Amino acid sequence: MTSFHFDIGSRARHAGRFIGRVRGELLRALAEKKAKDALPQQALAEKLGIERSLINRQLSGEENLSLRSLADLAWAMDMEISFELKQPTSSAGQNQSILTQTLATSTVSYGQIKYINGTAKRVSVLPVPANSEPTQAKKIA
Amino acid sequence: MTTIEELVEMHAISRIEVEMHPRDQALRLLYGTPGFIAWLGELASGSQPQRRLGEATPAEQVDDLFNTFLSGMPLVYMKQFRSIRAEKNAVWELKTPDIRIFGWFLKRDCFVAVFGNWTDVVKDHDLYRGYRIAIRRLRRELGVDETLCVQGVTPGDVLSL
Repeated sequence: MTSFHFDIGSRARHAGRFIGRVRGELLRALAEKKAKDALPQQALAEKLGIERSLINRQLSGEENLSLRSLADLAWAMDMEISFELKQPTSSAGQNQSILTQTLATSTVSYGQIKYINGTAKRVSVLPVPANSEPTQAKKIA
Repeated sequence: MTTIEELVEMHAISRIEVEMHPRDQALRLLYGTPGFIAWLGELASGSQPQRRLGEATPAEQVDDLFNTFLSGMPLVYMKQFRSIRAEKNAVWELKTPDIRIFGWFLKRDCFVAVFGNWTDVVKDHDLYRGYRIAIRRLRRELGVDETLCVQGVTPGDVLSL
């Protein structure tokens, strides 16, 4: 066997990658916040009035994240959540992480979930390729 | 000098792929040993740990991890990957809430997975040392210790971040 295709089915793939993306966003947002503003997990826990170990478990995926706890974590990091549902793009293109990676600035963005630094809410976080089709999107929050 | 292609031809490793978004192309490479591929097959068929931690199923966690890796997205050091021990020719661990995957980087952005197991089993039985020794032995047997193994131990040595 020269290659193995790990296929878990479309529905499971969508669920797993969405959950993973949310968790990944949180991890990266916190890492960025920690590096930039020296905001440790302990400070987040104190701000939220919860145990640091709970935050650690939530971030490592060992504890389920409710929408409320997600919102709380974003609030404690002084970040906004931008949630978006849109039509899937089916055309070939460039990997999205490369298009949207803006770690050098105050914004981190991957896929449809974006944490926007509260002090830079107007920063454009999704560079759109010149040849891309406009998509219909529903925005919440 | 052994090459990756030769390792594939002699069936020592196989390339691992996941379904990727049409806009994405693989920016990293992932391989697995026959033993790991067999374990992956069992995982895909729905095997579960005794106590599941993550909200996603173990198979979903691994699919997401592989997709993140292959599509070139950043992985968070210590939370999603780390070296077992800071040493030359280190053995590395890829992590999800319920799964631990052990292997080494043939080159930067090119990982070969050798062992996969449930997180709680790895921790409860402290399997880190055993996996590290077994992987070092495998590399010696394949004759790739010096040629196909990233020697640095910083995250930037093994992944384009």
